Amino acid sequence: MNLPMFPMIIAEAYRPFMDPLPAWENGRWPWLLIPLCVAVSIVYKSARCKSMKAVFREAMGLTLTIILGMIAAAIVLGFLVRGLER
Amino acid sequence: MADQPHSDSTASPALVALAAWVLPGAGYLLLKDYARGMTVGITIILLFFFGLLIGGIRCLEVPGYDPHGHKLFSWYVNGTLNGNSVPIAHTSTEPPSSTDGARQFGWTFYEHPVEELRSKPWNIPQFLFGPMDLLCDWWAVQVARPIDPEHPSKGYVAVRSHSRVNELGILYTAVAGLLNLLAIIDSSHRAIRTEAV
Repeated sequence: MNLPMFPMIIAEAYRPFMDPLPAWENGRWPWLLIPLCVAVSIVYKSARCKSMKAVFREAMGLTLTIILGMIAAAIVLGFLVRGLER
Repeated sequence: MADQPHSDSTASPALVALAAWVLPGAGYLLLKDYARGMTVGITIILLFFFGLLIGGIRCLEVPGYDPHGHKLFSWYVNGTLNGNSVPIAHTSTEPPSSTDGARQFGWTFYEHPVEELRSKPWNIPQFLFGPMDLLCDWWAVQVARPIDPEHPSKGYVAVRSHSRVNELGILYTAVAGLLNLLAIIDSSHRAIRTEAV
């Protein structure tokens, strides 16, 4: 198969809602957690903040905190797993 | 758009909670807190449908139906164990024939709701998203049924997702429902405070 054509073939075959998103490669799926973090932060801060003017800034700060927390958890768990494997 | 709810809003907390379940963000809109309502509503709806785009519509597991969209029936028949008569439970997509001596026959979700929900627990947070989730459940059942070989042109079967993509689809839709629960509680709490003023 001609490799440069491969993503285009997948894109043509994808039917929204009918097919799962072709994002199962290890390098791609973790990026899909970022919109989830953004949405959780926006809704949480919308409920918490008195003024909606502060929501965007507060939500971006919370998003960054969640993502950094997940990265830290991944590093710790990675070291733990490697340590247990030895 | 207003940042704070107006004091002239007289919606009852129960009505606000119901509106927030029917349409995400509508509870705040009833309290005339338009900016909050639009922000919360659009974010939750986008999150739910983005989950369906990732995992496909069939990442929604509907209680009472098998993975191929067939309605599940359950019943009991009398059997023997160590010489004693015991009831044996059956579950199938086909109703029992009249000669089986089946009793307590009915739709599985009606006969054993707790077991069905326990086997498909993500349906509970997804249900909190409101009637749009029920509509998507109906759609998921419709497109899960295999195409009739005699009429291959009719029908539109959706692909079932697996692995990480399926997990992400379920996660997005379930988190959307749970965030809507947060919005339901917060908007009804604001309605109580407005009533008390």
